[in-house]
Amino acid sequence: MTTAPADGAPGTEPLAGVRVLDLAQGIAGPYAAKWLGGLGADVIKVEPPSGDPARRAGPFPADEIDPEASGLYLYLNTSKRGITLDLEDDGGRELLRELAAASDIVIESFEPGYLAERGLGYEALRERSPGLVLVSITPFGQTGPYAGMPADEITQYALSGHMWLTGDPYRPPLKNGGSQPSYQAGLNALAAAVIAYLGSLISGEGTHVDLSAQETLAGMLELYGPFASQAGIQPKRRGNTVSAIYGTYQCADGYAGVYCLPRNYENMATAVGIPELLQPPFIDADERLRSNDVLEALLSGWFFQHSGKEIFELGKSHRFPAGYVATVEDLLESEQLRERRFFAEDDHPRAGAIRFPGHLWLSSEHDWRTGRAPTLGQHTEEVLDELGVSASRREQLRAAGAFGDGGAS
Amino acid sequence: MSPARRPLEGVRIADLTAMWAGPYATMVLADFGADVIKVEAPRAWDNLRTLIRPPLARGEHWWNSNAYFQEYNRNKRSLTLDLTSERGKELFGRLVAQSDVVIENFRADVMDRLGIGPDWLREQREDIIVVGMASFGKTGPDASAMAYGPVVEQLSGLASLTGYGDGIPFKTGVSYGDPVAGLAAATAVVTALIQRRRTGRGQVIDLAQREPMTTLIGEAFMEWAMNGRLPPHRGNESAAMAPHNAYACAGEDEWIAIAVRTDEEWAGLCSAMGAPELVDDSRFATAQSRLEHRADLDPLVAAWTGALTKQEAFERLSERGVPAGPVLTLPELLGDRHLATRGYYEEAEHAEVGTWAMHGWLWRTTDAGPCVLAPAPDLGNHNREILGGLLGASDDEIDALAASGVIGDTPVGERTRSEILASRR
Repeated sequence: MTTAPADGAPGTEPLAGVRVLDLAQGIAGPYAAKWLGGLGADVIKVEPPSGDPARRAGPFPADEIDPEASGLYLYLNTSKRGITLDLEDDGGRELLRELAAASDIVIESFEPGYLAERGLGYEALRERSPGLVLVSITPFGQTGPYAGMPADEITQYALSGHMWLTGDPYRPPLKNGGSQPSYQAGLNALAAAVIAYLGSLISGEGTHVDLSAQETLAGMLELYGPFASQAGIQPKRRGNTVSAIYGTYQCADGYAGVYCLPRNYENMATAVGIPELLQPPFIDADERLRSNDVLEALLSGWFFQHSGKEIFELGKSHRFPAGYVATVEDLLESEQLRERRFFAEDDHPRAGAIRFPGHLWLSSEHDWRTGRAPTLGQHTEEVLDELGVSASRREQLRAAGAFGDGGAS
Repeated sequence: MSPARRPLEGVRIADLTAMWAGPYATMVLADFGADVIKVEAPRAWDNLRTLIRPPLARGEHWWNSNAYFQEYNRNKRSLTLDLTSERGKELFGRLVAQSDVVIENFRADVMDRLGIGPDWLREQREDIIVVGMASFGKTGPDASAMAYGPVVEQLSGLASLTGYGDGIPFKTGVSYGDPVAGLAAATAVVTALIQRRRTGRGQVIDLAQREPMTTLIGEAFMEWAMNGRLPPHRGNESAAMAPHNAYACAGEDEWIAIAVRTDEEWAGLCSAMGAPELVDDSRFATAQSRLEHRADLDPLVAAWTGALTKQEAFERLSERGVPAGPVLTLPELLGDRHLATRGYYEEAEHAEVGTWAMHGWLWRTTDAGPCVLAPAPDLGNHNREILGGLLGASDDEIDALAASGVIGDTPVGERTRSEILASRR
């Protein structure tokens, strides 16, 4: 198969001609909207005059705070145009209604009720655009006893079942790295947006998606959630090692893992090359479990003598699932990712040379756009031109504060 | 009001996926209305069916009923076809001709080895959408590597970010790479359907499971580019705020996560703790000073939570607007009053198991009605319906297929054994 774009001409991208309003801030909504833009949609990011809080999150070059050089913001807002609108202002709200009338998808992550209280609820937004898809992202959804409850990454992780399962059994439950609950909500929001949009293309009717980060996480509990329910089992976190052939070990230069199902065992044992591993008791899956500690000790010694990359290569040549704990530096140097053109690059005037993940998949029919994230209010005038907002009205709006300070100067 | 039409009704998916990543993708597509035909073979069934053995898998036909398989294969139909046989391959070609999408998560070389790679698929149907989900992709020097979710997590960079701070990287509790890849693959399918509406062309999608996972840690790449630093393990702490931790509560292995972002939330925590004087304590006056005095602060919070159940602490904190979450065990999650109010869990039913609760919609839409319309299919359960209806085979032909082992309803050959769950007993 070919992975190069077949005909990368403008207008042929999957979402060419689709207009998206990204009202969300932080991680989840912007992540979803970024990829819609990457797939060819015209994404207009609407920021409050104070800017998306991600602009203040960093990381920053040399740790100096600069709202135009925040790494989190620059990553999550590629392939968008940016405008400022003050939704606390009547004129700002009217412009938002006009933008929604010209849009196919709106993504927002305000507290439940925020938009409706300002006359910008789903029914109001779709009044002039019946096919409009609204994706609302919140920690707990629009309804129910926790709706509107404040949340942070760690509290969402706790309330999803995942934190209970992560970490060492003799230490506290552990949050995983980064901001996974928000990213997860964003990935689900992306799927939700395209599914609802396709539904709208077919039926002409839009829909309001109520996405709860808690629910997206609670729907990916592997076998642990389902078994707690069906069999009344009470699983608990198991650290890094579920069994000797399904775990992480210290290796010569860091940490590596072998995560084999029983059917992968013989290939692994052959690659490891310790003759006992192909003899009883280890060769039998049930007997092996009864000798799990001995097997773990044998494998520990072997891992310690090999580098992570050696172990990964052995997995490739002998066909068993093995890997190593790669850092972002390892990934940036990966020949595999380079060959697949995974990283996007930019020489940013404020942030310097940056490289970051640039696609979700490769397709024979499209490439991915990764254009630079907008500065605050960068495209306000351009978008007002497209909306046909007259100079005199623009002046009135500006004077009344619809764009905040300097939003459309 | 009757439930709304599901957006993917009328889309047919020939689903060759197995285990968790691929079936998660087709679960999403099936939930939203696609006709997902799960294609297995009597000698090559979805290993998830047999990963858990009796007594944990119940019933005479125990390969159909375990909860892991059930959860992620609901709303699908099952067809068995031995793709290594000429007849099986020919029938699969007829299925492809009547499908919009073929999706698989085999090792990178398997489709070509079976002789059903993209070129062959396009011969069956010119505008077919083909999605492959090999762990590292179909191209490049690592294409032949195999991985399950924990290896994907290691090679995505995420595992390097998780840990208590003693240098040991930790895996996420679940095989996190799988559902992440699954959601991305579902998105890829629908994106391709949207594009096909306009261009009339199908497409071939090469989705490396590792790549969407890597997009979930974007800021770590920025930190490296800007400052040449790898993010340290922070355990449950935050670089930006304190308190921010899991605090022990009354009882054994009971915890509550608390995060205080603002001065208002700090005042709320002090009020909940019955220690309003702490608001005026200069060590804790600002976000910055709270971070600096984290070592003094955490024991104060822990002393308070230690005397309460996690639910008591949760109530007192949430009514004061402080972000908090009890670390829910899985039975507690299943009983969570908020999820219950929203109708998140739906009743699943299987003839040989009875009923239990299964998660429903991953996200809600207007008038959606119940999500789970059918349990995961028994192996080969829809053979007659699909072969006889969609593919036009006669009853005699179908009997002959069964007699020759091209189709079947029972796994044939050595049983794959349950290692993961057995080790927990």
